[in-house]
Amino acid sequence: MTAGTAQQALRLGRHCFAPDQRLVMGIVNRTPDSFYDRGATWNENAAMARVHAVVSEGADILDIGGVAAAPGAPVDVAEEIRRTVPFVGAVRAAYPDLVISVDTWRHQVGREACRAGADLLNDTWGGQDPELPAVAAEFGAGLICAHAGDQAPRTRPFRVAYEDVMADVLDRTLAQASRATAAGVDPARILIDAAHDFGKNTWQSLEVTRRLGEMVATGWPVLVSLSNKDFIGETLDAPPDRRLTGTLATTAICAWLGARVFRVHQVLQTREVLAMVSAIQGERPPARTVRGLA
Amino acid sequence: MITSAALCPWPPLLVRELTGADPVLPELRAACAGAVAALLRDRPEVVAVVGPGTGTVPWPADGRLNVAAFGGPRVAAPCPARPGTEGAGRPVLPPALGIGTYLLDQAGYAGERLIWSVSGDEPVAGCRKLGADLAGSDARVALLAIGDGSARRGPRAPGHFDERSHAFDAEVERAVRACDTRALLDLDPGLARELMATGRPAWQVLAGALEGCTGLSVEVLYAGDPFGVAYLVATLRPS
Repeated sequence: MTAGTAQQALRLGRHCFAPDQRLVMGIVNRTPDSFYDRGATWNENAAMARVHAVVSEGADILDIGGVAAAPGAPVDVAEEIRRTVPFVGAVRAAYPDLVISVDTWRHQVGREACRAGADLLNDTWGGQDPELPAVAAEFGAGLICAHAGDQAPRTRPFRVAYEDVMADVLDRTLAQASRATAAGVDPARILIDAAHDFGKNTWQSLEVTRRLGEMVATGWPVLVSLSNKDFIGETLDAPPDRRLTGTLATTAICAWLGARVFRVHQVLQTREVLAMVSAIQGERPPARTVRGLA
Repeated sequence: MITSAALCPWPPLLVRELTGADPVLPELRAACAGAVAALLRDRPEVVAVVGPGTGTVPWPADGRLNVAAFGGPRVAAPCPARPGTEGAGRPVLPPALGIGTYLLDQAGYAGERLIWSVSGDEPVAGCRKLGADLAGSDARVALLAIGDGSARRGPRAPGHFDERSHAFDAEVERAVRACDTRALLDLDPGLARELMATGRPAWQVLAGALEGCTGLSVEVLYAGDPFGVAYLVATLRPS
């Protein structure tokens, strides 16, 4: 592992997580068109059922999103608020202590979401709206600073080239983290994310995975969002519904290299992988050990 | 004088190492190799490579493609050489021009090169003049025009779908097949930019270079959009 600045405690909502705690963020899409669930939780009842399921499976954080990452029908601010904010309020009422993240690049949405009880803003498109950090600061919320290269929201990478992809990831995410700190966001509530597939081809996503230790060495807590993504699909030549094995393998590698938060569709399986990694690293004991010991 | 010209797109997947185990579009790779081979058969003294870049400027003749900018297999021991390192020491070109020189390298071309990037904002007149200047050379110049049609030809395309894309690309193909330089010069830079059609500047340089040429025979070696980007490979040579 790369030597560097030591990891500190991560504060999210009312919680304080130690550096050796690995957190699972369960994805709940309030969209009709997200690539993996294809609208499965577009209906509010289905979405709340999904929340109950991922919480019971051990999710520490929920990530609620109202706009699919892929190009598609435009979703304006009012519609994004309509999709996400009342739902954030409903989840908050049902789970007063659960960490709630909202996946948005727009400060107007972030503000309403924080008012409704969100603890964390997931700025997946990499700082497109310069006013977002001030909103996080205003509400004492956290901020995820992601790398999307030069990609505008909801666009696909087109022949994206980097002199050094990890250097670009570090430049941009650290600059955003500095801006967030300057805007008044609590540094203990800031995470960085390489944002696999965003502004990257498969080779570049594989490289940032291989070199994830360089992000961890910055001292900022690292979130990875790998779940069923195209770089896994292209690596294994697998459609979205056959990417779980690849997702979990990548999850194990990222955990080993020091990632602390895992944004996923499959919470239970991810929890088990993380438990194995923590046990192998000696950070957490196995659940029960009697083999050869009786 | 222009001896002959060729059009090639520049998807990075033309570099075989970048597509993983699957060769992905070997027919496109073969078409581009065929177009460059045809260009060189006319025994040019200079090959001019023109393609999109951030400015309209000449580049060092020994410039190369930086394959590593697109990633690639750089850890695996079985790979004989890390792609992109074989040209270490040569200056790095914008990717489109890099692909152009890569095609020349692959064809074994060791002669003189003239390399120009043309800005996506370059007005038609500027493109036309650059073409005329290249054609005005005393040397026998072969022109390799690098660029693609729209990258917005369907819902899975890099730029998603724009309903104007198909008509735009069809007109380009028609103009190339007819060697209709006037029609190529009529392509609208603003529309081309909106459609993510990177070929517009180089095609207008080509039109400027070939204006007034007669008796060219056109061969289209590839026209298709398997990934939502229009690729056109063609040669224009004396009949």
